Amino acid sequence: MTETAQPAAHENPLLEGLTIRRMADPCAFVIFGASGDLTRRKLFPALYSLALRRMLPEQFAIVGVARSEESDDEFRERMKHAVQEFGRDEFNQEVWDWLAEGMRFVATDFADDGGQDRLVATLNELDQTRGTAGNRVYYLAVPPDAVPVLVHALGKRRSTDGWTRVVVEKPFGRDLTSAQKLNAELLRHFEEDEIFRIDHYLGKETVQNLLALRFANGIFEPIWNRQFVDHIQITVAETLGIEGRAAFYEQAGAIRDVFQNHLLQLVALTAMEPPIDFTAESVRNEKVKVLRALHTPGPKHVVRGQYGRGYIEGEEVPGYREEPGVDPNSLTETYVAAKLYVDNWRWADTPIYIRAGKRLARRETTIAIEFQRAPHPPFEQADSEDLKPNVLVVHIQPDEGVSLEFAAKVPGQGIMLRTVHMDFLYGGTFRTGIPEAYERLILDCLLGDATLFTRADEVEEQWSLVDSIVALWKRDRPAFPNYAAGTWGPGAANELMRRDGREWRRH
Amino acid sequence: MATALASVAEIDRELAAKRWDAESGEPYQRTSVMTHLAWVPEAWVEAAEDVLAGLAERHPSRTIALFPRPDEDDGIEARADVDCFESGVGRQICTETIRIELCGNRASVPASIVQPLLLPDLPVFLRWRGVPPFGEGPFEELLDVVDRLIVDSTEWPGLPGPYGDLADVFDRVMVSDIAWARTSRWRPQLASLWPGIAEVKRIKVTGTEAQAYLLAGWLRSRLDREIELEHEPSDRLVSVEVDGEPAPFPPGDPPDPADLLSDELDRFARDRIYEQAVRSA
Repeated sequence: MTETAQPAAHENPLLEGLTIRRMADPCAFVIFGASGDLTRRKLFPALYSLALRRMLPEQFAIVGVARSEESDDEFRERMKHAVQEFGRDEFNQEVWDWLAEGMRFVATDFADDGGQDRLVATLNELDQTRGTAGNRVYYLAVPPDAVPVLVHALGKRRSTDGWTRVVVEKPFGRDLTSAQKLNAELLRHFEEDEIFRIDHYLGKETVQNLLALRFANGIFEPIWNRQFVDHIQITVAETLGIEGRAAFYEQAGAIRDVFQNHLLQLVALTAMEPPIDFTAESVRNEKVKVLRALHTPGPKHVVRGQYGRGYIEGEEVPGYREEPGVDPNSLTETYVAAKLYVDNWRWADTPIYIRAGKRLARRETTIAIEFQRAPHPPFEQADSEDLKPNVLVVHIQPDEGVSLEFAAKVPGQGIMLRTVHMDFLYGGTFRTGIPEAYERLILDCLLGDATLFTRADEVEEQWSLVDSIVALWKRDRPAFPNYAAGTWGPGAANELMRRDGREWRRH
Repeated sequence: MATALASVAEIDRELAAKRWDAESGEPYQRTSVMTHLAWVPEAWVEAAEDVLAGLAERHPSRTIALFPRPDEDDGIEARADVDCFESGVGRQICTETIRIELCGNRASVPASIVQPLLLPDLPVFLRWRGVPPFGEGPFEELLDVVDRLIVDSTEWPGLPGPYGDLADVFDRVMVSDIAWARTSRWRPQLASLWPGIAEVKRIKVTGTEAQAYLLAGWLRSRLDREIELEHEPSDRLVSVEVDGEPAPFPPGDPPDPADLLSDELDRFARDRIYEQAVRSA
């Protein structure tokens, strides 16, 4: 939470009724991987947007760390272009000048002791000149194999003045064993409340709105259970391919890139019990209970796929195996679908179907709650659509919002029914501009609020499920590619639903 | 006025007709979060239209602007517009604005015209330009149908006298004052002077009369002591001195009128700190 009434109103009567934005402490924000795409496309535009809205502390500095040689001024210039290209706001020179004044660049391979010394010297200098008070955020925007080395080095040299927070980007490990090892390494040097495992989906307004929808509305909670819900469908569909990330994607595949983190977090938020409050521990306690109760009933309930050549928006695109840097015989999956169950009182026997893939027909992330059909509609169906179940759809992206599908009578003689949508469009109702996920998450990290970050046990539960699926995959050799780019995935995914007498939602 | 509508039914029909895109034949997406009433006497028409233009996109709502014309023949002359804004690729969100000239005796009984046009179950905000005629017909009628009254006491002559009348409506309706909102950047600055400010005897405010009275009222009510006020006129709040010492200048730029009204339209709770400030102004 970024706004709060001052708690000390009983001491200072002038504070009563004032809503004062909680400001982060002075600090230095250190980005490892400063030459990477994430820094350019997401982190700097987010930092700039926060600066523009005066949400950063007055005493603030940014240190970029990367292997490539660059001067402070070159770094500033490159990031200025990044903000102009990828920022959501108009560029304001005055705000940029303020931000740029506190920017430094340290070129080093961090395994090198000399490089560590230079970083420490730079941070000490900033404590003096910018008043950053020994407080540090270390943002690890680096490839996964560099994370343990950095964590070890940072832990050894952590500042004794001020606080330290470490932000770790996904993927967090590549299986349960490596995640446990990484957690152990982190926890050797830092406390859990100093570790911020980022899953940027949790920073999206619409994901947070799912909690508001569920827990601020009396009408949904009574029917949010196995008695009224037939099944749930969660879709994370992309039209993009791997965008030059072959080295990463060949190792990760869809199951590690999206399923292990974004998809399972959406499942947890959809299925969790109401937390007693909106603090980090309460919310994460409820999410981890869902993840612990999650299982897939068996190998035939998990489908993997890989895209072949096809068309996206009328343009022919290469198959996955034809992408630069990809093994021509690659068995890496670019699509995964699964049927999951949450074994608890609320959801027993209610399937949750999830799917994620690249080069699908359209970009869309949705959570669809499909309710049970009306038990006995007293209408003749002649000239009507088949009577469909009610579906509550939470649109995460694009067209952020919520839709409810229900049957309505077509005006005229007799009873003819049609399915209609009642839409709440987020951007159309609150036109204040939706902040980027990274803005919210960076600000929360500066404020020390870990509610929207993933806790160690959550990550391990997620990997535990992924490991069980990957173990099943080792037994067979899939016939890839098995879906054309621009379609909705392999036929086996449709079969997964048809076996249960259901269908994926039409788009 | 292109097509003067003379009844509520005609207004409804006009809105229904305008909710369709003439080219595609598709209905517009309609999202509503409130009904916004604006009472706009002749002298305030231009200023009100400027603010309405700035608001429409930010608060998808039905706005009903009421223009009293008591000296004209009885009747209403209305215009209904549906304004659409881009919202995502290929989608538009529409808001509705109804402008009604209340002629002759209609100006004294606005509630019966407004009530059938309110969006059901959504909050109703009334923005009253100028000093409300406390205790008189139209104002009293409208108070009974709205959830929140929004005034700007900067527009009021003869302060602090009208604050006494305003305080009498606090138990009937929630009140927002844009003049109070304009002091919001300064109040945390003054609060930051605690505990030194606890014994303040005198303040000097360079700003509007309303800002001066409200800040003095706020300090008197919060600190429970008499505080002398010196007022230096200015069209905006530029400084506050506490016992001769200038308070720190707040960061950022002051918001524009549409932003201020927009913020007030997002508030739903009673502001008791403001009410106490008004009573002590």
